[in-house]
Amino acid sequence: MSGVNDDADASLVERIRETPQPAMRWLAGALALFVLEAGAVVNAVTGLFGSPVDIPTLLSRDVIPNNGYQTPAGVWEETFLGLSAGQAWAFRVVLIYLYAFIVAWWVWRGYLVFRKHYRHADWTPRDDMVDRLRGHRWGQFGAIIVFMFVVMALFAPALGPTTVERTISDPYSYHVEYYEDGELQNTTVGQANLGSRSQGNPDRNVGPMQYDDFGRFHPFGTIPSGKDMFTFMAAGARVSLFIGLVSIGISGFIAAAFALLTAYYKGLVDLVVVITGDSIMSLPRLLFVMLLSVVLGGSWISSIYNGGFLLALIFAGTGWPFLWRSVRGPAFQVAEQEWIDAAKSFGQKPRVTMQKHMAPYILGYLLVYASMSLGGIIVAVAGLSFLGLGISPPTPEWGRAIDMGQAYVTTSSWHISFIPGVMIVLVVTAFNALGDGIRDAVDPQSEGGDTSTEATAGTGGGA
Amino acid sequence: MSEQIQESVSVATGETLVEINDLKTYYDDGAILDSNPVKAVDGVNFDIKRGETLGLVGESGCGKTTLGRTLIQLEDATDGEVLFDGTDVTELSGTELKNWRRNSQMVFQDPESSLNDRMTVGEIIREPLDVHAWNTPQERRERVRELLDVVGLRPEHYYRYPHQFSGGQRQRIGIARALALEPEFVVLDEPVSALDVSVQAQILNLLEDLQDEFGLTYLFIAHDLSVVRHICDRVAVMYLGHVMELGDSEELFDNPKNPYTHSLLSAIPEPDPTANKERITLRGTPPSPRDPPKGCPFTTRCPMKIRPEKYQNMDADLWVAIEVFREVLRERARAEKTLTEIAKEKLGMDTRFSSIGEIRTELFAELDVPSEVREHIDTAATYVANNEEAKAREYLGEEFGSICDSETPAHHVVSDTGRASTCHRHLAEYDEPDEFTPYTER
Repeated sequence: MSGVNDDADASLVERIRETPQPAMRWLAGALALFVLEAGAVVNAVTGLFGSPVDIPTLLSRDVIPNNGYQTPAGVWEETFLGLSAGQAWAFRVVLIYLYAFIVAWWVWRGYLVFRKHYRHADWTPRDDMVDRLRGHRWGQFGAIIVFMFVVMALFAPALGPTTVERTISDPYSYHVEYYEDGELQNTTVGQANLGSRSQGNPDRNVGPMQYDDFGRFHPFGTIPSGKDMFTFMAAGARVSLFIGLVSIGISGFIAAAFALLTAYYKGLVDLVVVITGDSIMSLPRLLFVMLLSVVLGGSWISSIYNGGFLLALIFAGTGWPFLWRSVRGPAFQVAEQEWIDAAKSFGQKPRVTMQKHMAPYILGYLLVYASMSLGGIIVAVAGLSFLGLGISPPTPEWGRAIDMGQAYVTTSSWHISFIPGVMIVLVVTAFNALGDGIRDAVDPQSEGGDTSTEATAGTGGGA
Repeated sequence: MSEQIQESVSVATGETLVEINDLKTYYDDGAILDSNPVKAVDGVNFDIKRGETLGLVGESGCGKTTLGRTLIQLEDATDGEVLFDGTDVTELSGTELKNWRRNSQMVFQDPESSLNDRMTVGEIIREPLDVHAWNTPQERRERVRELLDVVGLRPEHYYRYPHQFSGGQRQRIGIARALALEPEFVVLDEPVSALDVSVQAQILNLLEDLQDEFGLTYLFIAHDLSVVRHICDRVAVMYLGHVMELGDSEELFDNPKNPYTHSLLSAIPEPDPTANKERITLRGTPPSPRDPPKGCPFTTRCPMKIRPEKYQNMDADLWVAIEVFREVLRERARAEKTLTEIAKEKLGMDTRFSSIGEIRTELFAELDVPSEVREHIDTAATYVANNEEAKAREYLGEEFGSICDSETPAHHVVSDTGRASTCHRHLAEYDEPDEFTPYTER
């Protein structure tokens, strides 16, 4: 055979070697972007094996500090370039989001470069899905909000005007400097927090975008104990995302495995899983989740990640039947295709058949329902924490913030419940929008189809 | 490259490759009590010779696809054996089964459904080679390109997706996949029925060329009789899980022996509008394969069914009415009654089963019924009215029934070429089916 065909079989590395320019250009950009944040990665990795190594990174609070004090003359000391605390903070936040969006855009460009220069096939069925998603505004809206939420969780330590350690977990070991009566004073953060409480009284309230008496900027105001709420929310996003992703990951895996097994083998296996799944689904979920979190609250699992891991397990254990139900149909449908028989006829292993010939067809549906139920789980975790059953204090969690602000809703400290509430609504809506987008991309015929299933998936938590 | 392959295949035409002995495939729907399986294939015997194309025809639902799937072990046989080169493949399992699978492959009916859309054409054709760890990956890729060439596609189609091909091209891909492991035996399950007529001929020619080139043995399942006549050396005609007639293709089409083959062939449209062709229209639908008739499977619809001596000259319409009457009783016995219906029946209330009087009126009112026959029908109707349906059926069976209702016909050799037909009319004491004018034609 001719040389052309040998080229067609070349591996990705060989193909890049042949025409290196586009790949090299992309790689250089990726490397440059990575170097900016390499310190954070090194820090996180070394942190797993003992004391983390600190390397300065561009987007850290060390490089762009916002903790400083204002002299009576109105000049800011110790902040970035002498900007005010609020401006320094805003500058850092904008930079972080800019960086995150550039990274996302660069990854997307990388895909396009691969598609244009290095892929064998000039067209794949996935291209159509991607193109459909490119024109789906509602799905893109969801994707952007979800992305911002994820960035908030990922960059939580750098985004907050202060850190969890400084203001929430260990406030009496850190100090703030401020000018009072023309003199530079020094006090502990804990002491300062007592002076910046938001408790409904106009005299005792630090609302959104306000400075407190100690020159600290609070973008979302403070919570009743005087701690910065934006820091609280950013850290809470991490907890919510962790619980959501872990529980959806586990239940998605169980759902997919059961759907494939039951669709492939049918018969008794199917019956057993149907009975198990239906039994779990017939339990009143919220009550059952509450029961489990109380019963298991004392066990060793509940100490992992402040009870977050236990919650993730509980949601996975009670949530998989819903996901499984939604992919069971597609799995049975694909199991009827003749290519499954063809695979059987030349002796393909059942495991490989399920992986190669069935799983790709249910993955899209799984993604749709997973992103829709993720919103439900976030609501449910917030709900449980609101009831005092979820994440143990003082770990930040959005539901706890709503709980704390409950008494002040009608007062000047309305922001304590209102902001987390709005953010939960926004994030849950975004996950549903993203799910809609994926669904329309995967299965264009279903467009505008039955909305009742979405509604059920979205309120999966019931809280 | 293809020459090499050709050399490795030695074809001794005429020698038996597949021997099917009393094969039964039942679908059990898993009822715990009172299991009544679908008897899709119900005792089939025949041989497939090396290098031949054996056609398998019949109405939809007659079990021909199930038979094909059982032969390549996609379904488990309930009973009987399939000897492939002397090995009973229904007994194989594990590695032995996997190794045997290289020898027999299948081309599926629907080219839309038989190819995984998320894989490239190359991956699809390569998969059997990967499963059996055929040579090195590099050689596998070359082999795939070779196969693409063999089935009339281009090697650069390797990285295309099935979506980018037409139905005929997709069927070529399916054929390439079936040939990847160099099988001896290929089951073609209606390979052209989903294609345009113009494309059908191309695929059929391709299949014939491939057979010559690689010495393949085909089982060609189809319901299009003209296609079968064109491509097959021998033909087996199936009805309700049984092979009714099997023989040389030309001979069978020119001179069908079995009453069912007769009726089936009379359904082929005649291209010449002036030709005066007698057409046998079969009454009703085939019986349920869960509950096939006793005796000959075709007995409920046969236009040449043997009658008792004294009713030889009965009016055709009256005979049909009697047959329908018996069938209705048979169906009623089979119909599932709910508890309420049983209770209503016991209380003498009306059920959804219309009363026997109505049925009788509907069937016989407009006919001239001789008194003797009327008497028998009245007796049977009385039994039914008294809820003794079994007795009524037995009574009618004794009066109007024949050997067709009670005994399973044997295979009779009906020609010098060894053609076999399953019909009681081949017994010495009855008229041969092809010498007998159907009652409805008189």
